[in-house]
Amino acid sequence: MSCSPFDLKDYFFEELDGAERKQVEAHVTGCRTCREELSRLRLTGTTLLSLREEEIPRRIAFVSDPVFEPSAWRRWWSGFWNTPARLGFGSAALVSAALVVFALARPAPVQPVRLVQVPTVQTAQAAPEVSEAAIQARIDQAADRAVAARTRQLKDEVAAERQRLLMVAAELEVDNRRQHALFMSAAEYGPPRQPALEAK
Amino acid sequence: MIFRAVEDGDLIRQAARGNVEAFNLLVSRWEKRVYNYLLRLTANREDALDLTQDVFLKAYQNLRKLDDAARFAPWLYRIAHNEAYSMFRKRRPESDVADLPPVATETGIAVGGNPVFPIELSLAVASALERLTPEQREAVTLKIYQGFKFEEMAEILSCPVSTIKSRLYTALELLKIELAPIEARGVS
Repeated sequence: MSCSPFDLKDYFFEELDGAERKQVEAHVTGCRTCREELSRLRLTGTTLLSLREEEIPRRIAFVSDPVFEPSAWRRWWSGFWNTPARLGFGSAALVSAALVVFALARPAPVQPVRLVQVPTVQTAQAAPEVSEAAIQARIDQAADRAVAARTRQLKDEVAAERQRLLMVAAELEVDNRRQHALFMSAAEYGPPRQPALEAK
Repeated sequence: MIFRAVEDGDLIRQAARGNVEAFNLLVSRWEKRVYNYLLRLTANREDALDLTQDVFLKAYQNLRKLDDAARFAPWLYRIAHNEAYSMFRKRRPESDVADLPPVATETGIAVGGNPVFPIELSLAVASALERLTPEQREAVTLKIYQGFKFEEMAEILSCPVSTIKSRLYTALELLKIELAPIEARGVS
């Protein structure tokens, strides 16, 4: 049993403050039993430390991988939640929730009812009356306009086709004259020679 | 011009903004310690390596939840502790983790009373550690090998400082007995 003012193991493990350590050291200097006990503790500690740390067999390293990284939202939320702002946010959320609950639970105020004379609209009487003859006349006018437009279009197409045929006829006339001139030249200079037959 | 080493806090802030290279640098600073911590817990190199990878992946995914960069080490070891015990539960769901027997490993040799050569000292220590309960072994690992303060250990293990001290001091008494023959042979 140690007679030291403080536990020798606390001294050995360096868990005492400066003043307490000095008291123990002063006591150990004059107490053989405590000195031997402290010596045994130191010897045991030294023996234990002969067990060296081992090197780690394989180094550990990480690469940037989005799988292991929290999302931007989670990073923001984590950063936000670890700040004093969370108190304000919590209070605001509580007040908002209270307002919503109050608004939903409170009965709606009863408005006084007032009768108002609303003029009725007589749609059937107000609408102008359109006769069958007028409708037929409008239809006839539209048909006449469509027929006249189509007639003008066809006349234009006929005129264009006639013009094209005249151009073709003129070209044919020119070709006939050219062919006639060639026949006349051939008759004047005789038939063409046949070199292959002459060689035989 | 003032030169300042890039501290863990700088890397944590950059990694929290999505800088993977900053996180890789952070991993390179801590992977060996985390691996050895998990190796003490699991007594299996493959399990320790797999768990180390899982720990850093979870750390990256949850880095934004770390409010104080100065608490990175206990936070990281808390993840490692949870991952290790999650694995224990998956493998032995019907039994309590505290009741799990020490796992047989390639490092186990008998110590008590038998002569141990200096070259086998580390193996003897490993064997002595395996005789502790998982909680005691974890307390010794966090204190002796990882150098955490009691407050940090309480944070990592989610239990009171008094419980931490109880586990550690009991383990230390057992280790003193287990390692006495080796110490008598002249560990300096």
